[in-house]
Amino acid sequence: MIATGTPAPGFSLQDQFGRTISLADFRDRRHVLLLFYPLDWTPT
Amino acid sequence: MEALLPRFRAAHTQVLGVSVDSVYSHANWARSLGGISFPLLSDFEPKGAVARSYGVYLEKPGITDRATVIIDSGGTVRHGSSVTPAGKRDIEELAALCEQVARESGSRTLAFAEAEGLGSDAVLYVKSHCGFSRAAQLAVDNLHATGLTVKNVSDDARALEELRAASGNETAPCLVLRGTAVPESPVIVRTLADRLAPVT
Repeated sequence: MIATGTPAPGFSLQDQFGRTISLADFRDRRHVLLLFYPLDWTPT
Repeated sequence: MEALLPRFRAAHTQVLGVSVDSVYSHANWARSLGGISFPLLSDFEPKGAVARSYGVYLEKPGITDRATVIIDSGGTVRHGSSVTPAGKRDIEELAALCEQVARESGSRTLAFAEAEGLGSDAVLYVKSHCGFSRAAQLAVDNLHATGLTVKNVSDDARALEELRAASGNETAPCLVLRGTAVPESPVIVRTLADRLAPVT
C-alpha cells in the first residue's frame, strides 16, 4: 500500500462512458477518493 | 456509494472506481448495481498497472485488493487502507475521512458545477436487437436519466417518422437534443455522461 504523505502516481484510464479520465484533471480542483475493486460484480 | 455522492461532492471530492475489467463489462456491472454514475475506470492495459503503482495489486490471485486511497487536490496521498478482497468498505467512514481531508487540506479546490442536464424535450431513439442501442440504454440507466424519453423505432412508425424529420435519416441510436441530432453510440454515451455526470 502506498504510504500516506507521498505523491500519488498519475494515471489516465477510460471510464464506463468511454471518457478518458486522468488524475491530473483534478489537480488544484478536487480531492479524489479511489476505490479499487478486486473484480467486477463485487459491490462496495 | 451512489446514495452518498452528494456528501463527497460537498467535500469537493471526486469518487473514482478502479478495476481490471473492460469498459463494456463495467457498464453492465454498474447497471446490475442499480446504476453507477461516478467513473469506473478500466485498469486494463496492461492489466492492473495502476493498482500496482499504488501497491494494491495482489500478484498471486492476479486481482486488485479492495483498497481505498484518498488523494488531496495537491496530489498527495492522505489515506490508504484495505478491507481485503472479501471485505466490505464502510462508506460512511470514508465520507467522514474525505470531509476531514477537505477541512484540513491547505490545497486549492473548486466546487462541483451543477450538471447541465438534457432539457425536457430530449429524445433517445433506439432500435431492437442492436448492440449500439443497448450501449446507449445502459448509459441512460447508469446515469439515472429517468426523465429522458426513449423511443424504439423498430416498433413505432410515428417515432421513426420523428427521427427522420430530426436527423434526415433512419439511423438509430440517435439522441435528439434541443433539436440537434447526435448520432453514433459512443458520442451519445459521452454526451449523456458529460451533461448528467460531469467530472471536471
